[in-house]
Amino acid sequence: MALLEIKNLKVFFEARNQSGKTSELRAVDGVSFELEKGEILGLVGESGCGKTTIGNAIVGMVPVTEGSIRFEGQEITALRGKSVKLFRQKVQMIFQDPFGSLNPRMSIGAGISEVLKVHKLVSGKNERSARVAELLKAVGLEAEYAARYPHEFSGGQRQRLGIARALALKPSLILADEPVSALDVSVQVQILNLLKDLQKEMDLSYLFIAHDLAVVRYMCDRILVMYLGKIVESAAATELFGKPAHPYTEALLSAVPDVDKGLKSRTQGSKRIVLKGDVPSATERIPGCPFHPRCHRVQAICSKEVPPVKDCSKGHFSVCHFAGKF
Amino acid sequence: MERNGKLLRVEGLKTWFGSEKDPIKAVDGVSFEVDKGVTVALVGESGCGKSVTAMSLARLIPSPPGFYAGGQILFDGEDVLKMSDRCLNDLRGREISYVFQEPGTSLNPVYRVGYQIMEAVKLHRKDVDAREEAIKLMSMVGLPDPETRIRAYPHEMSGGMQQRVMIAMALACRPRLLVADEPTTALDVTIQAQILELLSSLQKELKMAVILITHNLGLVADTAHMVYVMYAGRVVESGATENVLSKPAHPYTRGLLDAVPRLGVEDSAHEKPARMKGIPGSVPHPARLPIGCKFAPRCSKVQDVCRQQEPEIKCDAKGHYVRCYFPL
Repeated sequence: MALLEIKNLKVFFEARNQSGKTSELRAVDGVSFELEKGEILGLVGESGCGKTTIGNAIVGMVPVTEGSIRFEGQEITALRGKSVKLFRQKVQMIFQDPFGSLNPRMSIGAGISEVLKVHKLVSGKNERSARVAELLKAVGLEAEYAARYPHEFSGGQRQRLGIARALALKPSLILADEPVSALDVSVQVQILNLLKDLQKEMDLSYLFIAHDLAVVRYMCDRILVMYLGKIVESAAATELFGKPAHPYTEALLSAVPDVDKGLKSRTQGSKRIVLKGDVPSATERIPGCPFHPRCHRVQAICSKEVPPVKDCSKGHFSVCHFAGKF
Repeated sequence: MERNGKLLRVEGLKTWFGSEKDPIKAVDGVSFEVDKGVTVALVGESGCGKSVTAMSLARLIPSPPGFYAGGQILFDGEDVLKMSDRCLNDLRGREISYVFQEPGTSLNPVYRVGYQIMEAVKLHRKDVDAREEAIKLMSMVGLPDPETRIRAYPHEMSGGMQQRVMIAMALACRPRLLVADEPTTALDVTIQAQILELLSSLQKELKMAVILITHNLGLVADTAHMVYVMYAGRVVESGATENVLSKPAHPYTRGLLDAVPRLGVEDSAHEKPARMKGIPGSVPHPARLPIGCKFAPRCSKVQDVCRQQEPEIKCDAKGHYVRCYFPL
């Protein structure tokens, strides 16, 4: 049994345009995937593709319109009372902006202790501060920092605190939503390595949401690529970067500025694929393949028929009429 | 006035903040040169002084709190730091113009974009019809349907389109130097690719020099002829982009390169990437800089001399400069 199992998840919102007319905004439009225990699963896509909404739907921060989310075999939308609290212990989040997710008026120690108190995991003041010290040490900070306030820390340290807070409840699944995109490069690696180490030590699973393909390649075992609320390609990380089977993945990979690629293009010329236009709004209904108006491999069929899910090899699928043919 | 094709020469620029007694030295002795028509990148992490350097070029740092404590900025041989306000007004927008990171906050939300582009044209160019020129500029930067779009407000446009408007405004007077401060950081990768393509084709067409301010080494590898790596308000390494990025001499540059996750070139793309090293610690606060080499506390090759006295920047035969006692 997979740790997390999502089937045909749909999250729709009501959007209002300037003249006050409402329309349906399909943020997540029929997404299915599984996350195995001990896996780091990457979810990539550009802004507005619905990747954050999926994370929010899993923890119940946005209502699910349709579909099922199962955690350890249990349907989470059906959870009530005590079992909700237990679920929240087991699934924790790490956010992009660590400053926004720490209470500025609480010392670090008090902030982390509160979590322990609410969930009645550690009783007694001394035991709690011992646990806080242990958590701070686990994320590479000193135990004395417990008395300090969030503003006294740098961005990288704050993200470590965010991780310590998430670990406090001994979760089994962590949803990390752009955990390093607000950090400087030299600090980013420290946090990525910390997350990797913790995953091994504590037997964690991650749903790693990010827009940076290189970061996702470094972190994840398996990757889902999203476009306009749908998964367009899914593959093992090694496979996806070696043999992308969806034109969108192909274009993303070629558009990301990369040191090796940039230096190579100086002698061999640039092979960058530049997509036309902007990402359409999720309120638009695009006939056929949702990517066809921007696709560099578009054919007549793409605007007429919705492409089927095609298996390219074991565990690698792409939603494109021409998957595996380029 | 022009000498050896140098458009801009910055010599020992010091842009400080706060009181003269106890200043915060955001930029402390930065020197660099920009030839006509080339792209020069200033690269570094947040707080290294790259944006303050860029803003100083047209004296855009408000005073107080900022002040220029020394150095020269020679644009076409004339010192920007000694210019009268009137000369400055002629320089800004006409000779040097800027594109910033957040197009949404740089545009005025209550005016139509056409008006904002026309404003730049009217100010500096009496020879053309502002409206016609604005339409021409908008089509030049690839905005579809400029005759109608000229009446749009900024909020009616996407981030990529807003950045195109900003570029149109910056190019209104065909400047000889465009300073692009993280022009694509706020944009999605596919839009970023569009904007980069646009900037490089316009650069060729208009033969302007571009100073690209960025933290993204991939972007530098893609676009820049020359690169200046900055750390704690100083240039620590500079030279031709190929040399600096493929054979870095400063431990900081090496560390940065090791810290950037890679996509993997064709033959290694299917391999699992090896564990990256990163740089220990974080960028020092400009008010609490160490005494010797500013990178010494984070450096893996640090020796006693590094902690006592700051090294001078030195050059090898190929024009590759490095500020380190023990270059790699």
